[in-house]
Amino acid sequence: MQESAYFDKYNPINGVWDEMYGLDANVRDHYRKVIEYISGESADDLNNKEELAKRLFMSQGITFTVYNSGEGIEKIFPFDIIPRIITAEEWAFVEKGIKQRLTALNLFLKDVYHNQFIINDGIVPIDIIYSCPHFLREMYHLQVPYDIYVHISGIDIIRDHDGTFYVLEDNLRTPSGVSYMLENREITKRLFPDLLPQCGVRSVTEYPTILYKNLLALSPRQIHNPTIVLLSPGIYNSAYFEHTTLARLMGVELVEGRDLVVNNHKVYMKTTTGLQQVDVIYRRVDDEYLDPLVFNPSSMLGVAGIMGAYRKGNVAIVNAIGTGVADDKAVYVYVPEMIRYYLNEEPILKNVPTHQLGNADERAHVFENINTMVIKKTNGSGGYGMLMGHAATEKEIEDYKLEILKEPRNFIAQPTISLSAAPCYMQGELQPRRIDLRPYALYGPDGIEIVPGGLTRVALKEGSLVVNSSQGGGSKDTWVLA
Amino acid sequence: MLSRVAASFYWLSRYIERSDGMLRMLKINYASSQDTVQEFTWEPVIRIFSGRDEDEDESAKLENNSRAVLKYMVIGKSNSNSILNIITLARENARGVQEHIPKDLWQCLNEYYHAVKDPRLEKSLLRDDPISVLDVLIKQVMLYYGTVEITMERGEGRSFMNIGKYLERAIQSVDILDAKFGSVSDNPDLLTDTSYWKHLLLSLGGYELYLKTYREGFEASNILEQVVLNNDFPRSVIYSVNNIQRYFDRLKNDSNLDDFREMSFRIGRLQSRIKYSSVKSIEQEGLHLFLTQIRTELYGIGNSLNEHYFANS
Repeated sequence: MQESAYFDKYNPINGVWDEMYGLDANVRDHYRKVIEYISGESADDLNNKEELAKRLFMSQGITFTVYNSGEGIEKIFPFDIIPRIITAEEWAFVEKGIKQRLTALNLFLKDVYHNQFIINDGIVPIDIIYSCPHFLREMYHLQVPYDIYVHISGIDIIRDHDGTFYVLEDNLRTPSGVSYMLENREITKRLFPDLLPQCGVRSVTEYPTILYKNLLALSPRQIHNPTIVLLSPGIYNSAYFEHTTLARLMGVELVEGRDLVVNNHKVYMKTTTGLQQVDVIYRRVDDEYLDPLVFNPSSMLGVAGIMGAYRKGNVAIVNAIGTGVADDKAVYVYVPEMIRYYLNEEPILKNVPTHQLGNADERAHVFENINTMVIKKTNGSGGYGMLMGHAATEKEIEDYKLEILKEPRNFIAQPTISLSAAPCYMQGELQPRRIDLRPYALYGPDGIEIVPGGLTRVALKEGSLVVNSSQGGGSKDTWVLA
Repeated sequence: MLSRVAASFYWLSRYIERSDGMLRMLKINYASSQDTVQEFTWEPVIRIFSGRDEDEDESAKLENNSRAVLKYMVIGKSNSNSILNIITLARENARGVQEHIPKDLWQCLNEYYHAVKDPRLEKSLLRDDPISVLDVLIKQVMLYYGTVEITMERGEGRSFMNIGKYLERAIQSVDILDAKFGSVSDNPDLLTDTSYWKHLLLSLGGYELYLKTYREGFEASNILEQVVLNNDFPRSVIYSVNNIQRYFDRLKNDSNLDDFREMSFRIGRLQSRIKYSSVKSIEQEGLHLFLTQIRTELYGIGNSLNEHYFANS
């Protein structure tokens, strides 16, 4: 095969799994068509495509606003035009692994909020659960429909240097980014006309349909047209674009806390023709802000009394409240054990080896090898409050250690994992950049469904291992081949 | 429909209509400033369209400097009623109801917003031909109205949009008349100044209709008749009020008859007040007094919508 100029100039990173560049120094089969396609394009053509992508994001208002100095600045979530490609075999493996893991996590949630067998049997230590800020006693012995807690999850998957898949973290509260999975695909259709069907890329457009079907099934009132709403914190939330996209694609009402009111343990929305009862709430507001009567009393985003309506079973809330106890990073360590305990199976997807700093021996070990470790807060997200041992200065390390010693349970450490790399289009050439993968799993009464695709986040800075959008990350379209 | 959503539709539409009126007014006034040997004053425009509580010294400084006025009115950050600020508000309202408006409409608003935000716009406004710049923005508004017409669902949302649009338009026509006729009573020479009346009509888009209707040249009473009482003139007060009533009637619904009746009463009262007036009766009771009453009634309609439909009581 005639290799393209773009490919000839490509320098894979040593010791890192490259999604495109095979061990035999050739293009991997599943990337071949894409590389052939772009080798027919000049750098100018590709620059134009990049420009077009930016313009489409901008004119469609797919932006988030950064508020500083009193003026809103519109930004787009950086998008790399080269798709990330996953083969059918790889996908089948990941899909199976996520289904298994999510089944176990959901059983765990039911267990910790009811009989707590797993604690009594000594599989998960009691102090790990009760010290978790997301373990909510308000959920104790509360029945949720179909025993499903995690209706929507975004489990982050990464690949080590030999291509093995690992679970980096379980996002079981209100994972975001799915609108980018959908929009990136729409943009890619425009950038590379006809290429998607030629490569046999599976569609992701079913996502809103499946989600809607699941929400509909949860309605406590058995009526033909229950009211389903998406509860958003409002236009100043950085994910607001996603909330409107999902509401539009499902044809459900997008509401804010101030649109809802609780009366006689039922939730209503205020309409121009009076109050209308709400049956199912897909909420994108965190537990803590959901009900000022029960949780944070200063919250303006929630609805007073909504927990009462939930407890009575008059309204379904998605995801269930209190799921944060299962994606706490200290509980993460026990997920392989949960899978063995509840399902009597070996975990398909591996955990990244993790040290709990609450344990003195492990802490000593981590402090000795801090240069090869990544330390995270157990309840942190978005890449905030992390320490990357290999890149930190002496002073940062010392300061961080002091902070750990204040509350060691709130920290975990993992060896620096070498994320896999994929080609990105950078100033006229292809360059490798580190990526992860977040597929979105939907758990409904019919079981778990995962649309073939997900959000591939990419660390756009050369050499960076942090893919979070708040830390200079971007995204790519994610292709799963048939 | 959610009360908040209804309110957003209403305000989105009011802001866009306001920007349309302002852009046309600015364009005609700029053209008129090129057409006069005396010093041209922007005072009425600033009085009608900038926020009422603005610093008086600042507007006095602007009055005779066309470029500075244009900058202040189009992209002035400190002017709460500048095109930039109101289109930003319009877009924020649209953002809050994004799933209720067609995607085309949302894109159209985005483009309008980005056109105003474009740094090149400031440069051309200050250095090149301002009319071309204003034309670009006026086109954006026309594109918006076209998109609404073609894509917007014929339902409650559109009714609230139209109520907002016509309420804003009626208020604007009343304000412009009041300002223009007010200047005449201060300076009777204007009464016979044809270019003064011509520009008033042009800025309301009613010049051609006027020429066809009245053959005897520019007469203050004819202009009054057209802008207040002519049912065929799309910017007349009566036309706007009739449309408020027309779209309000569509909101009738069994579950809120009391609210409906109260609003319907107010709108009907205003409509009759105008319908059964004549140029003569208006002149007898005093134009300024008449316009002030109409304005109060229009504001009253806005307030009752707030109370009865937008759950802001």
